Amino acid sequence: MTVTRPERVRGPLDDAFWDFCARGELHIQKCGECAGFTWPVEQACEHCGSRALQWERMSGEGRLVSWCAVHQDYYRGLLPLPYDCILVELEEGVLFVSNPHGFGYDDMSLGMALRLAFIDCRDPAGDKFRLPVFEKV
Amino acid sequence: MVDYTPIVMPPSTRELSRKAAIVGIGETDYGADYQAQRAKAEGYEGPTVESLATRAFERALADSGLDRSDIDGLTCSFTYGGPEPRELASMLGLSPRLCRSNGTIMAGPLPVACEAIARGEADCIAMVYAVATRSIGRVFGGTGPGTLYVGPKTYYYFHPWGWSGQAAHWAMICSHYQAKYGVREEELGAVAQQVRLHASRNPNAVMQKPFTIEEYMASRYIVRPLHLLDICLVNDGAVCLIVRRADLARGMAHVPVDVAGWGEAKLTSNKFDVLIRQQLRPQIEEAGRQAFSMAGVNQDNIGHFEGYDAASFHLINQIEGYGFVRQGDGVGFCLAGEMDLGGRLPTNTEGGNLSCSYMHGWSQVAETVRQLRGEAGERQVAGLEFAMTSLAQTNSAHPMILARGEAA
Repeated sequence: MTVTRPERVRGPLDDAFWDFCARGELHIQKCGECAGFTWPVEQACEHCGSRALQWERMSGEGRLVSWCAVHQDYYRGLLPLPYDCILVELEEGVLFVSNPHGFGYDDMSLGMALRLAFIDCRDPAGDKFRLPVFEKV
Repeated sequence: MVDYTPIVMPPSTRELSRKAAIVGIGETDYGADYQAQRAKAEGYEGPTVESLATRAFERALADSGLDRSDIDGLTCSFTYGGPEPRELASMLGLSPRLCRSNGTIMAGPLPVACEAIARGEADCIAMVYAVATRSIGRVFGGTGPGTLYVGPKTYYYFHPWGWSGQAAHWAMICSHYQAKYGVREEELGAVAQQVRLHASRNPNAVMQKPFTIEEYMASRYIVRPLHLLDICLVNDGAVCLIVRRADLARGMAHVPVDVAGWGEAKLTSNKFDVLIRQQLRPQIEEAGRQAFSMAGVNQDNIGHFEGYDAASFHLINQIEGYGFVRQGDGVGFCLAGEMDLGGRLPTNTEGGNLSCSYMHGWSQVAETVRQLRGEAGERQVAGLEFAMTSLAQTNSAHPMILARGEAA
């Protein structure tokens, strides 16, 4: 089932991120100089300013750091309300905003183990993409 | 559109401490304007930035007891746009030698004015802030014209997951804190409830009716765990502060309020770690350290706090970050009444952004001036010498310390 999601930030580097997602892989930019991760996508390392950023594939394992349930219709009917958002700490240390898949607000606890999954989406213009979300392990 | 161009903060040095004082304050009729805007009676005409700015200026001028000819500086801080400074000067009947725009939100404009005075660029500056936020129909969060690629990246990058806007940020901060420290939703309600109780003592506040925790729990969620009552107002208004060289600020209509200290710290990386796991502490703590050091005081000297309550819970981040209470103890501090009148740190005594007015930190400064003068009426904090204001966002903190000056 394909669901409609709000528009993505687009650009050559952003599109590279979504291309990896289309293959079912989560890649984050890693600095060739300081080894720090930068997310969301940037031209230069957020820690040291180096432009030597390279894509690194994430294992897909993570833990729950925080969560919320959006009740306000910020997207004017595009998303069924309420829906949950989560903050996941990836195994590699990156903090990643996402959505839970197959579990909900009342089932969340600090540090719970999560695993990457992808759902099929289209943006309001009709372009298809795959969105990284997280399931309970 | 919000102008996110940062203004250059003057250094937090002892040399700049207490070189200028606030000698006049003027605010618009937040409550009455809000009611009129909602009622939209026949013939109703909404306010403009110009009309709001003029009203606040006239009131500040009257409050100061000064003549127009005493005002030799004018700065404009219009978050969502407004007239050019020279245009406003002519509207207000001023011919200032210093006339310029000065940022937007209360994250630096007052220190900038104090520095200009210390440099001799002006002796008496009218600082004008105005927004017609409600009348222009500004929306927060979600997508729409002008919402992509504007402001901090976290405000728009996560649209595909449905996460955007300030309320979602505060909800995520709050949820983590709740899980970490075992704080229940009913307990969080005490913060918004306390601020509303303060507003009930302010006839100019937009929302003045106290509520029970049952009413809080029954109010709809905006972004759970935050309820409607946890989120700031959206309203129109203006604030004018008249700031004068400290040695000229004595013997005036009111006790002068000296600008004693300020600080600034900005987040550079690891936003989510700082925001969620560290509860914004690094930037709040660092900016606070600068302000305390510049003013030559510490937390024990501060008797009143005016924080930036874009969301109720953000007040807890601030009182903890500035070191008034240990991390994890903030909600308990509020539950114990320590943020009420008579408590250790009466906080947002006019009703803050949640219940009085959302003026991007400017109305908090006006309230601090009233408190330090001893003119806050039934919500007066007793024996006040120093107070702290704070503008804290998701990626920066700008505290200031104001002091009761010498009357003569």
